Amino acid sequence: MSTRKKSESGYFFRQKLAPWLLLAAPIVFTLWLKYYPILKAVLISFFNYNPIHQPGELPGEFVGFQNYATMFHTEYYWQAWRNSFVFLILQMLMTFFIPIIQALFLNELRRMKNIFSTMYLLPTLIPGTINVIIWRWVWHPDYGVANQIVRFFGGEPQLWLSDPALVKFCIIFPGVLGGGISVLLYLSAIQNISPDIMESASLDGCTGWKRIWHITLPNIRYIIFIQMVISVSAAMQLLDAPYMFAAGGPSGASTTQGIYIYNSFNKDFNYGRGSAASVILMLVVMVMTMIQMHFENAEQE
Amino acid sequence: MKKTNESKSHKIRLSKSDRSLQVVSILVTVASMLVILFPFVLTISSAMKDNMKIYDVPPKLLPDSSNSLSVAVDYTGFSGTQEELEAQLQDDMVSTMFGVYSKLNRDSIFEVKFYGTRDNATIFYSRAHQTQLQLEKDYGIYEGTVLQDQTLLYKDRAERVSHIIGYEFDPHGLAKHSAPDSIQAETLEKLNLVFDKKFKLHGQLSACGMHKNNLLLLESFIHYMKLPNYMYDANPVIARFGFLSFVGNTVIVIGFAIISQVFLCSLCAFVISRLLRPRAARIMLLFFMGAQMIPFASIMLPQLIMYRNIGAYNNYAALLLPFLYPFGFYIYLFKGFFDRIPGSYFEAARLDGASNFFLYIRICMPLSKPTIALIALQTFLGNWNDFFWAWLVTERQELWTLNVALYNIANNTSTKQNALMGIALVTMLPVIVIALIFSKQLKASIMSSGVKG
Repeated sequence: MSTRKKSESGYFFRQKLAPWLLLAAPIVFTLWLKYYPILKAVLISFFNYNPIHQPGELPGEFVGFQNYATMFHTEYYWQAWRNSFVFLILQMLMTFFIPIIQALFLNELRRMKNIFSTMYLLPTLIPGTINVIIWRWVWHPDYGVANQIVRFFGGEPQLWLSDPALVKFCIIFPGVLGGGISVLLYLSAIQNISPDIMESASLDGCTGWKRIWHITLPNIRYIIFIQMVISVSAAMQLLDAPYMFAAGGPSGASTTQGIYIYNSFNKDFNYGRGSAASVILMLVVMVMTMIQMHFENAEQE
Repeated sequence: MKKTNESKSHKIRLSKSDRSLQVVSILVTVASMLVILFPFVLTISSAMKDNMKIYDVPPKLLPDSSNSLSVAVDYTGFSGTQEELEAQLQDDMVSTMFGVYSKLNRDSIFEVKFYGTRDNATIFYSRAHQTQLQLEKDYGIYEGTVLQDQTLLYKDRAERVSHIIGYEFDPHGLAKHSAPDSIQAETLEKLNLVFDKKFKLHGQLSACGMHKNNLLLLESFIHYMKLPNYMYDANPVIARFGFLSFVGNTVIVIGFAIISQVFLCSLCAFVISRLLRPRAARIMLLFFMGAQMIPFASIMLPQLIMYRNIGAYNNYAALLLPFLYPFGFYIYLFKGFFDRIPGSYFEAARLDGASNFFLYIRICMPLSKPTIALIALQTFLGNWNDFFWAWLVTERQELWTLNVALYNIANNTSTKQNALMGIALVTMLPVIVIALIFSKQLKASIMSSGVKG
């Protein structure tokens, strides 16, 4: 009797309790390190937050949605959103399609495909800071290569990163070199297209350029879409590159949402407004992610 | 011969459209290669230029070849004690080196060799690389001084500098080094420009010469790496370990991230994939994936407040804590792999009375080596670019990771562009070499991941 009871409780332990015990630490850490901060951001956004409040007290004066209201009425906030969208559009126009083109042509090569695909990895291995160091030197108004090229073609030398009209272009431009992990992802998608499709296409006389346009591209459209959603969501969260290139300047021309939040609490010490911007940003990214997951599910079914 | 025939016959079968596609493919790929290599070429060429040439307009692609200058000064007839002679030699060595550095800055003189002679015997030898002198001028003993004899030799400066640069002195003659004995007219003309008003010698200029030595361009890099030691000499850790302390911090952070992600994510994925009911599994996966979708910019502020409250600010805890929770996407990758392990493996082990922990350690982990490699790689690539958080929480210089240190060095107005490019190159070179060695595995794991993380 007692042994049976023991084995029953052992069964219960192994089947019901053990999984949750194993998961306990990861769940607690995720709640603590990710979910708690975002809830705290929502909370702070309703307060006129006092950074040096006593523990146990309210973190400041409760102001309801006032932080949001004042934020929506400042030009600087909308400028940050406009900047984000300009960054997004520039990224889409200038850099997004280049890895696709590179992968398509790389796949057509008959030899040295291996070496070239390794070379395409090189840009991934340059850390962000070094990329900024290199490109700040390229854009240097007096000694940079960029102005040299402009002069060669008879143009006026530009200020580049110090010019509000050009700073976004300069920050996105390094992506034009292409390469990186995405080339390999597209390449693997192209190589995964079933050979039957390719064969029947070539039997039907669909070769060369026609094959690329009518067979290859439609077959990798799914991964192109996923990459697009990822890069849209990344453009919304842009923070490191604009900050390192121009610290959000000149005159706020490269201030993204991330830099706006950072400036709110670091320069203006307005924690409430910074949190309000954080919450709005999270909602926007969340909506985009949901759209992505919706399409992902639709594709799988 | 046979091969060319084969490929020829193969080509004939290609349609016209195919052939033009081939040509365009080759052109586009080669052009892409050139464009991708451009930043590297620019970095290398900038790092090898000297401090004057780098500001030339138009910039040259190739650095000028570097020169090595030798100067011999004669002290025959000096009547004083050995200490006095040594002090004079130190003075002259410093005057010569910094005189050449400041006056002949257009001549690409990357190395100055200074010899002291007496009665036809070489008694003193010292050499300095141009970058060494540049560091002394920018951050060292001569920081912010005008280079001329009075300031160079003020109090014990000459002695300190000559000890840093290093020299050999033996009044009875050095066996290893022998001074040049002829005077190159061209070089003398240039040296006369140096020793006119600002710089003077105690001894007699007896010989001089200049020759090309392009290896000196590479030696610059050794001295560039000492830049942090000079720049942050007030910090005992950086002054001692220099650049290596940043490398060490980066290794600590990335290493911790890889270990904790591999362990936590595989554990969670094992439980979700094998132990939970489908409904609970779906909810847990959503719970972890959701956490990862919260953008960093959104929680940056509350995270900073929270970390500060628990004392995780300006120490390693602040750098490492963000990696202590499992990343949802990696759980997803692991789960995908664990789902494919045949159930019979587990049932057989269960019948033998194996515990859950045994199943995880002995069955799942050994089978999932490729996935572990993939997660480690993804974590590495993610952190290799990570900047903002590390920058936000570190004030103490000995905590800086490479990215933070490079950003701060780059933003210091006294940093010279060639030194900056040199440090940048040395930072990325090891990673590139490792990546090229393991390129096969690297590509395989990226291509298997399917979606960029």
